[in-house]
Amino acid sequence: MFFVLLKESLIFAWQSLLSNKLRSFLSLLGITIGIFAIILVFTILDGLENNIRGSIQSLGNNVVYIQKWPWSFGPDYPWWKYINRPTPKYHELDELQTRCKTTQAIAYRLGARKTIKYKSNSIKNASVAGISYEFYKIKNFDLSDGRYFTQNEIEAGYAVVIIGANIAAGLFPNQDPIGKEIIIGGRKANVIGVIKKEGESLLGISFDYQAITPFNFARYIIDTKSENSDPIIYVKAKNNISNDEMIDELTGLMRAIRKIKPIAEPNFALNETSLLSKGFDSLFEVIGIAGWIIGGFSILVGGFGIANIMFVSVKERTNLIGIQKSLGAKNIFILIQFLGESVLLSFIGGFFGLLLTYIITILGKDIVGMEISLTGTNIILGFTISILIGIISGFIPAYSASQLDPVEAIRIN
Amino acid sequence: MKRPRIITAFCILGYLSVIFTFPQVFSPAIKKIGLFVPAIFGVLVAAYFIACVGLWHFKKWGAELYLISFFSKTFFYLIIQDTGISFYVGILTAIIFSFILLRYYPKMDKNL
Repeated sequence: MFFVLLKESLIFAWQSLLSNKLRSFLSLLGITIGIFAIILVFTILDGLENNIRGSIQSLGNNVVYIQKWPWSFGPDYPWWKYINRPTPKYHELDELQTRCKTTQAIAYRLGARKTIKYKSNSIKNASVAGISYEFYKIKNFDLSDGRYFTQNEIEAGYAVVIIGANIAAGLFPNQDPIGKEIIIGGRKANVIGVIKKEGESLLGISFDYQAITPFNFARYIIDTKSENSDPIIYVKAKNNISNDEMIDELTGLMRAIRKIKPIAEPNFALNETSLLSKGFDSLFEVIGIAGWIIGGFSILVGGFGIANIMFVSVKERTNLIGIQKSLGAKNIFILIQFLGESVLLSFIGGFFGLLLTYIITILGKDIVGMEISLTGTNIILGFTISILIGIISGFIPAYSASQLDPVEAIRIN
Repeated sequence: MKRPRIITAFCILGYLSVIFTFPQVFSPAIKKIGLFVPAIFGVLVAAYFIACVGLWHFKKWGAELYLISFFSKTFFYLIIQDTGISFYVGILTAIIFSFILLRYYPKMDKNL
């Protein structure tokens, strides 16, 4: 019985919407814009978050970076304390590998911008890195072609190189790069692997434009003493060891290696990727709240618009309500009829809002080059909000319509 | 019977609280809890609003819906473990108002 009532009410509501096309369109425009604003903000935010979290993950989970400069998000960044610190050295890696008990893998990396050439093709300012063997255990990357370095190649400094997908595409269009000889910073090296395409990263961390070589080969093309080569020692803890435990050990060992007196401040920084995650967590929280407030107000305005239109609709159809009631229509029927109209109106508005968001995400993918997608959660949220706003803004007009006295309602012109 | 002033005041407070609670439905904090949590919370907010409309018209169903939505909302907050000071103040206010409602309940209109 209830469903028959609901069906009839919705048919009435649909006919009423069709008979006032312009008015229906204008009132659902408010909801469309509201849903569009809020879901677009959430969608962009989700996209940004996924991208940045993916980039942070590519830095390595639970990895500690031994560097000269600490990563800091605070306003008081005492750079003058750090400027005279020494950079991490390759021999420190050897010492750590021998003495560290809590680590699963330790790797060294330094890099520079160099021109890479193959015959007439060249790529300027490509990122060239010199690495130690365990680098693959720390950084997350997959090879689309070829293989990783052997320990012997790394230690003996063979002239071999693994290149990023964009470098491969730039140097070897329509060719297999494996086995080809390229020139990096004036030295020849054989391509033994290609890293799988990673895509754009908001943090600028991507292997697509990188070429990695053994450290002992890289020292011929990169100035290892220069601070610009940004040397880093990466340390990853064993599975059953916490980062804090490993940091304690590393602090002691690094102080011993660098012969720092007990009362002196350390001259190295132990940076964790979790610090970055925490920094971005608070940033996303602020952006999320800002988007929520902006979207919330848009929705509220849209809701007032629907309520206004529903009051007009009730006033306009007072005669009709009187006739319906005098023919035996129950209060609940009138209530559902008008409530259905308002819910239908805002549901359609919500649908168009989501459609608009979807179109923007498709266009955004091409324009920004970043993966933004309308998730199931946001679709459900969009429809939930639009239905709720329909119920809340339509209930008072619908209820007042259901309470009309049939005799007086018929009399009103 | 004419609606008592205390119920009028409470309904106005209820309408205002809906305006401020409704945006919470799509707040990042609620969204983070689960896929259907915003929808469930939204239904509770809508039920609370409808209950206020019912009470404004001094209807029995309004009082009944108010009590149902109050208990459901309390249960919801307990599940999501959002039990700050405002939660306890809300419970106290709702309990006091429930007693007032029960006092006037027999005089309320039983029709829709």
